Amino acid sequence: MVMKQIALYGKGGIGKSTTSANLSAALSLAGHDILQIGCDPKRDSTRMLMQGRLIPTVMDQVRERGASGVTPADVVYTGFNGVRCVEAGGPEPGVGCAGRGIIATFQLLEKFGTLTGDVIVYDVLGDVVCGGFAMPMREGYAQEVYLVTSGELMSLYAANNICKAIERLSARPKSRCRLAGVICNAKNQPKEEELVAEFARRVNSHLVQFIPRDRVVQLAELNRKTVIEYEPDSKQAQIYRDLATHIMENTRFTIPTPLEIDDLEALAIEYM
Amino acid sequence: MTLRPLPSNICRFAGCTLTGALSVTTHVRDAITVVHGPQGCTHHNFSLLHATSLDNDRIALPPLVSTGLSETDVIFGGEGALDRTLDTVIARDPGAVFVLSTCIVDTIGDDVGMVCGAKAGVPVIVVPTAGFLGGSFQTGVNNALIALAGMAGPADRNGGVNIIGEKNLEYEVEENFAEVSRLLALLGLSVNIRFVHDLATDHIASLGAARLNILRDPSLIPVGESLKERFGTPYIPAYPVGISGTVAFLESVADTCGIDCRHAVEEEHTLRQQTLDDFADLAGAGISFTPLPPDPEGSRVAQDIAQAFRLDVTSSGCPVPVPVTPPVGIIGVRRLLHRWRRALHA
Repeated sequence: MVMKQIALYGKGGIGKSTTSANLSAALSLAGHDILQIGCDPKRDSTRMLMQGRLIPTVMDQVRERGASGVTPADVVYTGFNGVRCVEAGGPEPGVGCAGRGIIATFQLLEKFGTLTGDVIVYDVLGDVVCGGFAMPMREGYAQEVYLVTSGELMSLYAANNICKAIERLSARPKSRCRLAGVICNAKNQPKEEELVAEFARRVNSHLVQFIPRDRVVQLAELNRKTVIEYEPDSKQAQIYRDLATHIMENTRFTIPTPLEIDDLEALAIEYM
Repeated sequence: MTLRPLPSNICRFAGCTLTGALSVTTHVRDAITVVHGPQGCTHHNFSLLHATSLDNDRIALPPLVSTGLSETDVIFGGEGALDRTLDTVIARDPGAVFVLSTCIVDTIGDDVGMVCGAKAGVPVIVVPTAGFLGGSFQTGVNNALIALAGMAGPADRNGGVNIIGEKNLEYEVEENFAEVSRLLALLGLSVNIRFVHDLATDHIASLGAARLNILRDPSLIPVGESLKERFGTPYIPAYPVGISGTVAFLESVADTCGIDCRHAVEEEHTLRQQTLDDFADLAGAGISFTPLPPDPEGSRVAQDIAQAFRLDVTSSGCPVPVPVTPPVGIIGVRRLLHRWRRALHA
């Protein structure tokens, strides 16, 4: 029985993979059995948990051997402190259907019985561009969706869009998918924490963690490690551990109320 | 095909764009049609085309090949599967290859034109046929005819007449063609090519040589216009329909071609009168149309025929069959009257 399945969504480049990898590392050091699944053809979600290695993706393996020739050992790799890592992967840029690749990945992982552990962390591509990328939010998968955003308007805009997807999905019968909170991965803008906290309130949620910008994140990445592994005593590592604690203790799951674009802009101007 | 649809079910008549295009391309007898999509799209259409061909005494199997897309092809793109299939098909040395798309390949954005454009030695013609884009069966027919017309270049006029867009799946396709040929012969005209019915690839080249195009029905007007623009060929928008259609058809063809039709019209009036005499015994009989044809044109023509032969159409009358498409020419009307007479005497 999986204790928790969570999904991180947010604009591309906002720091979902960094946040996911540090969260998984912190949760595993807290004694939990963790599975992290990168749901993005870019396939770099788990890289820092794997000492910088780009692991073979599920779709790579399917392409080479056909779905029936793939075994669990081909797609699940054990990284930092026993965190199990999977990358969905996808087609070459510009061809095929990446969304169907995510669906096929989930079906294969189901067949393998891979979706086990205390916590499963789904790190999903920039936006819910099609049905395939809503897969992690469907019945039986992540019930808790966290939005990763900075205080920049385009990032909030993407987060607001994802709220629309959650609102739509949560209206379905039997759907237990909910918005669990907003994570502010800061760009060091003035009043950024206040802005993102207010955004979270307006979409009927709350700010779970404010992650300030810190050079140690870049240093850790250059050393192919998570901050948790590279500088466990740093202030930043403590923030990721706090995030892990808040997520494990969080019970506030809501149906979001997305904003109109004009309201979103007005909000951003308020905190300029 | 007699259907009794619910009003909410009228979309059933629109049909599939792919099937419409296949009803054309499979009638180029030395060509191969590749359906780029999952194998079911091909199997389902193969069965339908084969069954209707048998009804029309055509035993040849429709020359269809599927690229057999799987989920893996959908995820990674189907262009490779199309490329491999085309190589296999071209190795069989067909007169031409027609490549028809399906819903899924247009959803994932395969560049079908690019893959086909890279092939040499045999004409490889792309027909866009993704049904979910809102097109009907007729859209597929028109797309296929326009794509195939692209294989024809300029040609010297040969005095013949093209038959454009025959309904290859209708039961009376040959009888209807024979009736139109009969009428053309009355005017001293002969058929150049049947575009497309049981045609060889080489013959497509003479498409532009005809002095006139006759469209099967007005839904082909976009094709008629396209051919008029390319080759300067005028067109007649439909086959003659019902009891009075043939004379109007003769006049219209003669007028377009600038020939004298008085003798032909006279002969046709004689045949019309003879038909009225031959079925005079039906006068006064009560009939009903069940079910009513889905097409209002079909209803109108059936009413006209009943009126001309002084039949009473009442809800309690003897049920008589009404074809989905109205009878073509006087000979078509005669066949229909034979069926009505059999129903009345049954």
